[in-house]
Amino acid sequence: MSSLTLSTLTAWVRNSAVYRSIIRHGVADTNRNRSLVIFENLFLHVHPVKVREKTLKFTHTFWLGGITMVATFVLFATGILLMFYYHPSVPQAYRDMKELMFVVDNGVFYRNMHRWAAHLMVLGAMLHMLRVFYHRAYRPPRQFNWVVGVVLLLITLLLSYTGYLLPWDQLAFWGVSVGTNMAKEAPLIGKPLRFLLLGGNIVSENALLRFYVLHCVVLPAVLMLFISVHIWRIRKDGGVQGPPEKDPGEEVEP
Amino acid sequence: MPLRRLFAITSILFFVVLAISPLKNALRPYRSIQREYARLGAARAKSQKVAEAYQARPVSIQQIWLPGLQNRVDRCMTCHLGAQDETMAGAPGVYRLHSRSFHTPKDFDRFGCTSCHGGQGLATLEEDAHGMAENAGTPMTPLPFIESGCGRCHLGEQVNGAAILTRGRMLMEKAGCFACHLVKGHEGFRSEAPPLESVALKTGGEALKRWLKDPKGLDGNASMPNFRLSDQDIEALTHFIFNTAPSKALADKVREAGAEKAGDAINGKKIFAEARCISCHTVEGKGNGSAPELSKVASRATQPWMLAYLRDPHAFNPRTRMPQFGFSAADTRDVVAYMVAEFKDFDAPPGMLDPVHVNQTLAEKGQKLFRLLGCTACHAASGEPDRIGPELNRIGDKRAASLDFGKRKDLKHTLPTWLQAKLEDPRSLGTGLKMPVYGLSPTDTQAVVTALLAYGAEPVPAQYQPVPAVRASLVPGGTVGALFDRYRCLSCHQIGDKGGDISTAPLTAEGSKVKKDWVIDYLVMSYTIRPILTDRMPVFRMTKAEATILAEAFETFYLDPSIPEDPFAGQPATSRDPIEGRHIFDTLGCKACHILGEKGGYFGPPLNEAGRRLKPGWTYTWLKGPQKWRADVRCPNYGLTDADALKLTSFLQTQVQKPAALKTAKGGGR
Repeated sequence: MSSLTLSTLTAWVRNSAVYRSIIRHGVADTNRNRSLVIFENLFLHVHPVKVREKTLKFTHTFWLGGITMVATFVLFATGILLMFYYHPSVPQAYRDMKELMFVVDNGVFYRNMHRWAAHLMVLGAMLHMLRVFYHRAYRPPRQFNWVVGVVLLLITLLLSYTGYLLPWDQLAFWGVSVGTNMAKEAPLIGKPLRFLLLGGNIVSENALLRFYVLHCVVLPAVLMLFISVHIWRIRKDGGVQGPPEKDPGEEVEP
Repeated sequence: MPLRRLFAITSILFFVVLAISPLKNALRPYRSIQREYARLGAARAKSQKVAEAYQARPVSIQQIWLPGLQNRVDRCMTCHLGAQDETMAGAPGVYRLHSRSFHTPKDFDRFGCTSCHGGQGLATLEEDAHGMAENAGTPMTPLPFIESGCGRCHLGEQVNGAAILTRGRMLMEKAGCFACHLVKGHEGFRSEAPPLESVALKTGGEALKRWLKDPKGLDGNASMPNFRLSDQDIEALTHFIFNTAPSKALADKVREAGAEKAGDAINGKKIFAEARCISCHTVEGKGNGSAPELSKVASRATQPWMLAYLRDPHAFNPRTRMPQFGFSAADTRDVVAYMVAEFKDFDAPPGMLDPVHVNQTLAEKGQKLFRLLGCTACHAASGEPDRIGPELNRIGDKRAASLDFGKRKDLKHTLPTWLQAKLEDPRSLGTGLKMPVYGLSPTDTQAVVTALLAYGAEPVPAQYQPVPAVRASLVPGGTVGALFDRYRCLSCHQIGDKGGDISTAPLTAEGSKVKKDWVIDYLVMSYTIRPILTDRMPVFRMTKAEATILAEAFETFYLDPSIPEDPFAGQPATSRDPIEGRHIFDTLGCKACHILGEKGGYFGPPLNEAGRRLKPGWTYTWLKGPQKWRADVRCPNYGLTDADALKLTSFLQTQVQKPAALKTAKGGGR
């Protein structure tokens, strides 16, 4: 039996069924292999096989979409941790907040991360839209993705708003009281809409429960769906578009 | 490559930022406090085993969880570990044993820390837990007001061991706070202030104006606050008051009294002293101050009114605490003659008592003012008082952020400071405020703030409210009730949970306590029981028949089932041995406080007549535990055995000397 050396061990691992089922294409640095790696991986296939070098430049996109996406990930991670401690009920909600602040290990950190990441997500999404607007990236063939983006911004704002009630403090209570009263003023659907949102006519335990379900289940699920479509469309529409090409023929003054 | 270096630096920075939170967590101050506590405990421990137990303590958050008490979670013991630990008596700072209080440290497991002290029990950092940051969470109750915590569960007026709270509650009742402010449990409050209709009969325009200007300045015992009225307002109110017609019956009484000839002032002086008027009224500083100061009364009240009032005070003010004395017509004439001659303000200008010539316009203006200022809250003749103040039911849990500090920039934004300012100078907090100035001393202000802070937002569950130590009051009707009312027994004595606190002898178990014959003698001619007390029972000039009715009522109704009628029943004959009892009396040193024979102390009642006055059952029960009957009793609990208590009782029953005062007693005659 040959002696056990590092190279034989490596070869054994690489030939094992488990390894081959995960790393299917080896590490050979050929164009074909690179394409295969991207094509056959769920996480990587949203990326184009090849990107132009200039699209990687910071000033091309200011990384705004990416920053928003990272904030979203942080929000999911910290949000799940916060859910372990939070009861959406009137006697418990504010108290759980205090528990997080006072005794839960790193509770202050998770809560603040969640809060600041939420601010960052709203800010990032808005700046991202401005960037897209000023770069004229909403124009065909990206018109569909622009609309998806608008929906994503709305979901982001709704997530922010529904999360605002959950601490169940005075700020939350009055914030939601004022907000839903504004919704009430909408013509025709205003009153039923408010009733639907609050599960009643006042900001009470029903409102807290509804906002909790919206914040933690409904809106994140819809957000995930739309983010997937959004990113998939980027690839289908030929990658990100930065500043428009300098093409004198295209410049049309109104 | 600069991008790589940038990536490396930001990664390190990111890692450092992420490490801050777990580090802060690991370095929480309570951890070092707990380690220091273990070290201190081990050093103070009496045995090796206990010391090891201290050292083996894990560092962890400690809490008292009370699902039944508003789901309270108190983690105060995370730092204050020694609060319940006898070993830590006298230990420094945060480690020390809880200071002696009415409740023992074991009780804290039952109701936690924040139920008395306030603060945020959930927190584990000093700043959060003590609520030191302005407007953050619930701050701790400052120590001067700590007895407000007692009042959250102990809802009765008398709270043993909480003198400040008790005083505060008593002051609130006396000052008439509940007349303007609705408070649960005091909905039925009615002020003792006199109805307005007889004021014009009693006093004159100038005297009334002086009174309205500053009631407490004229009479230190006045319960009427200072409304800081302008001279125009005083003028208008005076005209309104003199425009209010008295009832014909009262006017007739005063007119008839005015027609009588003057009495004998020298005899009046004697009667004034005998009746012990200064048990309640003050004359030149003497007296307990529960009734008006009399030294200048003749310059405030007319002679006919005084005469008519002394004969039938309850006709003039049905809610007054003044008893009706059994004076004869000539006696009252003499007393009033003495008062008119002696109790005069010699500096007052003449014409103080002249009536006002009413101007209708001013009177109408005065009537409006009278309602606007809320005077009707106290001076309403009948019906619901007009409560113009806000209700105070939840005041103790009001957030400082929701209080209006108005013009006062000098105040710390906390609830106790606000309440203090509101009591000291109510109108300094804003313009247009109506609350008058009560002129409370700083200690009284502290007491009232304490009582106010006890009105919490959330009611304490029933199992945390103490079973009342005293039984509900039994106030009789019929003939007995009429006598109680006539002599206003409840102005001074307590029956169950009702009554004044001037007398140290509650009547709740009077029938089990004293012998009937003694009561009759005493009511007819009361004398000093405890020489050290200054407030004595007045001599009402009660008839023997009235005294007998009252004594029989005591025998029938005011009994305590826990006091045996005959404590010797079923006991060995030796327990009736008075000679051994005498021996116990001498050994315990009872003479330090009690007179027996010729000598003894003045603190307790003399015991020469103990056998004539007290029932054996009472004496026996008392000896077994004097504190059961009143919290402030100084008589020590010697922990006597049944046999010793009985022997002592049987000795005291042999002391049946009649006091000198009684030998000349004639009894009242009307």
